[in-house]
Amino acid sequence: MNQLKNLKIVVLVLVVLLILVIVRNSNQHIFKQEVKTALEAVQNNSNLISPEQLLQLKSKWLVVNIGADNLPDSLRIENSIRLPFENLLDRANRKILEEVEGDLILYSSDEATASKAWIILNQLGFENIFILNLGDNQEVLKYKFQPDTTARLEQDSI
Amino acid sequence: MDARIKYSVLLIGVGIILAFLPFNAAQTFQLKADELLSLSVSGDMYFSVDQVARFVNNEDSTVQIIDIRSAEQYRECNIPGSVNIPFSELLNPLWEPTLNQKEIKTIFYGNGDQTANYAWTIVTGMGYSNSYVMKGGLNEWFKTVMLSQYSGEKITPAENARFENRLNARKIFTQINSLPDSLKTRFFDAKRLTQSKLDGGCE
Repeated sequence: MNQLKNLKIVVLVLVVLLILVIVRNSNQHIFKQEVKTALEAVQNNSNLISPEQLLQLKSKWLVVNIGADNLPDSLRIENSIRLPFENLLDRANRKILEEVEGDLILYSSDEATASKAWIILNQLGFENIFILNLGDNQEVLKYKFQPDTTARLEQDSI
Repeated sequence: MDARIKYSVLLIGVGIILAFLPFNAAQTFQLKADELLSLSVSGDMYFSVDQVARFVNNEDSTVQIIDIRSAEQYRECNIPGSVNIPFSELLNPLWEPTLNQKEIKTIFYGNGDQTANYAWTIVTGMGYSNSYVMKGGLNEWFKTVMLSQYSGEKITPAENARFENRLNARKIFTQINSLPDSLKTRFFDAKRLTQSKLDGGCE
């Protein structure tokens, strides 16, 4: 009888642990990826895709417009849907994203929005997700700093 | 039941459960996805270049400005007082005490908006509160602070204050970026000394 009681305690502990694991894993709002993966992809620019590369893709894809503006007419992309960034993780929208076959292409006229959305979805475990890059690289400094060759510290201040 | 068998069953059971747990190293996001999304949507994560210019002019000690561009770009020119933490170094544990600040606001900037927003999302997701982005990056800084000119006939007090703020920031930016690296720290000391003289304080 005592042996059976001991066994029950062991099984009970295991069941409690198992429930905790299941509850944690079933929470869709918990990030599970290593941050390093996102950092590396961003550094290599392997998370960006140009319109030309997109049209040459052999696999299926869907453009998800998360910005405030429409897709530029020049892109002539029909295979797209619109999901507002603020509602991106709503249950229905998340289901849409999860059911996408092939590559998921994020677009926003505001590159900050696409950047944030990409990191969030990447860290939630979405694979094959890219940002549609229209070519105008905002990360290049467009201005050249002109040093003032006469600048010097005041002698009495040093 | 033999205690050894009891503990063996328990250990094996725990081992099996642990084997099915997702990988959770120290560097994963601590915030929940909906929390991070909610912060990302909010406009509160941005400072304008005019606001940053004011911080620079006042040498505001409640903010730290982080330049996430490469060391080479940083050397060419940077916002006075900024610290260079290249994006590739963001997860370096050595930078954690700098980036994970409770009292001091951390403002990221790059040349544009993209890399700074990547950086913001990563550090905020990791639970580093008090992180912000300078909207528009250095390109916007040049456009607004370095190159803007007032062309109207009359100027309101608010506009005058704004342009004076830009003019002062432009002056500091040009002066400090024109100096050799060895003199940049001394520039701020000299500026403080001059200010204290103007204010009639002690040297």
